[in-house]
Amino acid sequence: MAVADFIISLLTFISIYSLFGIGLNLKFGFTGLIDFGHVAYFMIGAYVTVVLTMPAGAAGYSGIGGFALPAIFSALGPLGSLFGWILGVLGGMIAAAIVSLAVGIPTLRLREDYLAITALGIATILTTVVNDEEWLFNGPFGINTVHSPLRDVFPVSVGSFTLNMVVFGALSIAVFAFTGYWLVRVFQRQGRRGKLILGVLVPLIAVWYFVLPTLSGGMVELTRNTLWLFDPTAGPNGGIDYDRFILLVSVAALGGGYWLTERTINSPYGRILRSIREDEDVPRALGKETFQYKLQALMLGSALAGAAGALWAINIGFIAPDQFAATITFYAFTAVIVGGTANNKGVILGTAFFWGIRNGTRFIDVPSQYSIQLAAARLMLIGLVLILILYYRPEGLLGEQDYDIPLPSRNTSGGTDDV
Amino acid sequence: MSEQDTPSSKPDATETNSRATGGCGDPILRIQGVTKQFGGITALDGVDLTVDPGITGLIGPNGAGKTTLFNCLTGFHKPDDGQISLYETDITGKEPPTIAQQGMVRTFQIPRELADMTVFENLLLAPMNQHGERLLASWVRGEQFVEEEQTIRDRAREIAAFFELDHLLNEPAGSLSGGQRKLLEIARALLTDPDIVLLDEPLAGVNPTLEQKILSRIEDLVEDGYSFLLIEHDIDLIMDNCERVVVMHQGAVLTTGPPEEVQSDERVIEAYLGGDNV
Amino acid sequence: MVSAGLLDATVQGVITGAIIAGGALGLSLIYDIAEVPNFAHGDMITIGAYMALVFNNPGEIPFLPNFGSAPFVLAAVIGVVLAGVLGAVYELAIFRKFREKDADLITMVIVSLGLALVLRNAVLFLVGSKNIQYQTQRVITTNFDFLVTQSGLTVTSTQRQAGELVTTGEWGYPWWLIVAGLLAAVAVGYAIFAFYREEEDFTTVHLIPPKIMGAAGSIATVLLLGVFARLDPQGTDYILGTQIGLNVKHITILAVVIAAMFILNVILKTTKLGRAMRATADNMDLAQVRGVNADRVQLIVWVVAAMLAALAGILTGWFATNLTPNMGFALLLPIFAAVILGGISSPYGAVAGAMIIGLSMDVGVYLIPGSSTYRVAIAFVILIGVLLVKPEGIWGDV
Repeated sequence: MAVADFIISLLTFISIYSLFGIGLNLKFGFTGLIDFGHVAYFMIGAYVTVVLTMPAGAAGYSGIGGFALPAIFSALGPLGSLFGWILGVLGGMIAAAIVSLAVGIPTLRLREDYLAITALGIATILTTVVNDEEWLFNGPFGINTVHSPLRDVFPVSVGSFTLNMVVFGALSIAVFAFTGYWLVRVFQRQGRRGKLILGVLVPLIAVWYFVLPTLSGGMVELTRNTLWLFDPTAGPNGGIDYDRFILLVSVAALGGGYWLTERTINSPYGRILRSIREDEDVPRALGKETFQYKLQALMLGSALAGAAGALWAINIGFIAPDQFAATITFYAFTAVIVGGTANNKGVILGTAFFWGIRNGTRFIDVPSQYSIQLAAARLMLIGLVLILILYYRPEGLLGEQDYDIPLPSRNTSGGTDDV
Repeated sequence: MSEQDTPSSKPDATETNSRATGGCGDPILRIQGVTKQFGGITALDGVDLTVDPGITGLIGPNGAGKTTLFNCLTGFHKPDDGQISLYETDITGKEPPTIAQQGMVRTFQIPRELADMTVFENLLLAPMNQHGERLLASWVRGEQFVEEEQTIRDRAREIAAFFELDHLLNEPAGSLSGGQRKLLEIARALLTDPDIVLLDEPLAGVNPTLEQKILSRIEDLVEDGYSFLLIEHDIDLIMDNCERVVVMHQGAVLTTGPPEEVQSDERVIEAYLGGDNV
Repeated sequence: MVSAGLLDATVQGVITGAIIAGGALGLSLIYDIAEVPNFAHGDMITIGAYMALVFNNPGEIPFLPNFGSAPFVLAAVIGVVLAGVLGAVYELAIFRKFREKDADLITMVIVSLGLALVLRNAVLFLVGSKNIQYQTQRVITTNFDFLVTQSGLTVTSTQRQAGELVTTGEWGYPWWLIVAGLLAAVAVGYAIFAFYREEEDFTTVHLIPPKIMGAAGSIATVLLLGVFARLDPQGTDYILGTQIGLNVKHITILAVVIAAMFILNVILKTTKLGRAMRATADNMDLAQVRGVNADRVQLIVWVVAAMLAALAGILTGWFATNLTPNMGFALLLPIFAAVILGGISSPYGAVAGAMIIGLSMDVGVYLIPGSSTYRVAIAFVILIGVLLVKPEGIWGDV
């Protein structure tokens, strides 16, 4: 496997789990709700989307549906089919939000520690229900007839091999250029320590990605890694394959989720959420119906988790209840806290850190009988990092983000105190 | 600090005024037989009280039940018995946000600043029913959203300047001194445009110059139609500034009346002022 | 021959409750005094169970030489002691440091979650995920058939020996004895209650509340009469019949957990240490001002809680006849449910909560057909139902 392919699968993972983490951050980071049942909404989003989009009477499936939304709209061509899938994702998000509403009404009035434990309990129960009730979603056998949107369209090829290479290669290089530009800007804004860390880390990754494969695989590998969006083996003339498309979809979804949460947080609405986290009595004394806000934050965060679940399903191509264990929630908590609680950029950084460690250590060669040991060692490391971060840097790598409600400027004298 | 720093008067002052003084002397708050027990200890024992427009001082020795009464009035505690009406509306046992929406807002005795938010954000939080407090409005950001946020920022800056907090607007509220936190508490309460503010020891730890300034500000606000119920330990301060004084003792109202009258009341001297000291 | 019914489910529920109670005692202690909602408690249970395994059955652990097997009871004692040492490590290495930083409740929750990840995966790392058993003697279950007939109650006890069902006893109680026995039980119970109650005044601190003392007296009377007043069988033509299965594990688990509860209660209520613990639970700063060494109290709390967790783990592993790295985490939810239900500040409350949870799990599974995978769910529905009515738990945060 080329390094580029590994990177693509890793980035897709990180995008999906970052979206999941941003949903959690809205609940935990900004509103202060310890939802240990966050994974339940990931599961609901995945299942409902899959069932809404897969064809009816699929082989080996004995649950509800499917409802074949993309097929209904496929008369309008591939875009109609894509529209059907997007409707399915919306359905999954709404289902997740509705279930979280039902969970939130009794539990959000509880003390924070009681909320944590009841949320964990309800998530466990929901997973048990999906696992044990075959009539619902096929029980433990899961669903392997996941609808993949635009699957038939790919690989997309724009003409001859050379043209493909030039078009997708240029796009690939543009992404590198943008990343480089962004890194330079980040570098400039860092203090001494940040500069040191970046100065070591970035070259190391660059060496790992560009130099090492070249040494082992020659120019062919270097070309493949540089023109990462271009897959020479996709179709007769090469092109962009489905995995790369899924990555783009996931990144777009993450971008959308990020934008929406930022918009939510940087507003009077977001001020109330954060005041609830700090001391709920204060907004209550000031006439804010905090319960409504907690409920809405829970629903919005759950809907984002549901969207992440829908993407997870098309990325893996198979869903089953055991993929949605409570540990997934705990991983997301770790990612949020490591990156910086109440910092959406931090969530992405923390998720990258977390899944980088988890999936990166796959390259360590161990005899297969020690695979359990390796997995366990990874999780021990993660638990340890969690405790150490909370002790030495409780605000996480990035710390809480800054807030700003951009307003059109006016000709007033005192513009300095705009937050 | 000059007079021009004084924030503009209450936007709907005239309207409120007409409501507050409609019957000229109609009480704002009517408290009847309010009782509250904590595990067998009676904190409030049938409090009967009416609060008229203006400044009312609430005094009493430690443990008299002053703060518990505040908590019951603003919905943070549910009274076991009795009735509370605000402008003839029954608010007994209502939730704190509902009561605040009805126009009665409180401050906390131990200031509860939102420590990780800036002073400015603490203030911006306060105004009621902001358009941008709705989720959809925060996404769409129409003209109303922008205009209202501008207005709120102006008001917050104004009031911050009055309370001498303007140079601290971008500091986290957790970094303020004890006195500044008290001021932030009052400023936040005023920004909600209440009809009546319950101030729980608002001036403890505030420097004397500022204290005088706040008191004169409160008097100005009374002119504009606001009312205040004020718990304070500094007796002189209460006597000098309040139109009426309520004395609580052992969970009940001992007496009410103008300062001079209360000051000379035997029972008050007995219970609170410590006999021959005054 | 009759089949097992509600009565057997009740007995199972009591045993499940006892196992949960073992964990709940430790968890409530940490919750109340250290103020940590300890999500690592389930994994402390697992660690304790494996500690005993090290000495009882070292051959099963890959990296250990097979140095022979200690008797189960001895291994259990060593395991509990070692778990106590680990408890001290948790406190000294982790929780004391966070307490010194005035960490809030949310932080403590997440820290304990991190510890849970470390502990569970340490077991996976060292032992792997296979099922392991303690080396113990085989336990033979005795089935008691209870037949309600025209003239009274007939009991038949049977055991399976070498594949054959062997009747080991048959006896009965006529109606008059049953009525007299129940009356005697009520009388004894009430007498004990009344006797203790009379002495009560405002300052009395009851080691055991009179109500519990009375109930225990009643139960003891019934058991004593049942064992010693065995008369002739009252016929086999039954109107109602049910069967319960009992073995030495049931009795042992119940006895050990009740003893642990009692000892813990004695420590909390009569010793200087116990007073220091309760003062710390009320208000740590105030306790420190009054000369309580809070650090020492917290250390002891973690040691004792870890030992109780280990005890629960060993009992679970023995009762379920296998140990897995997930055994403790699977118990965590019911244990939390029990502690929240019973109130976090009393050993009796924790045990009472555990019994409610245990009974609702097993009786619920018996009453609702096809619900066996929803055991934990049933416990949780009960908990959420209670929290709906009383958001602060039955006894609240005292």
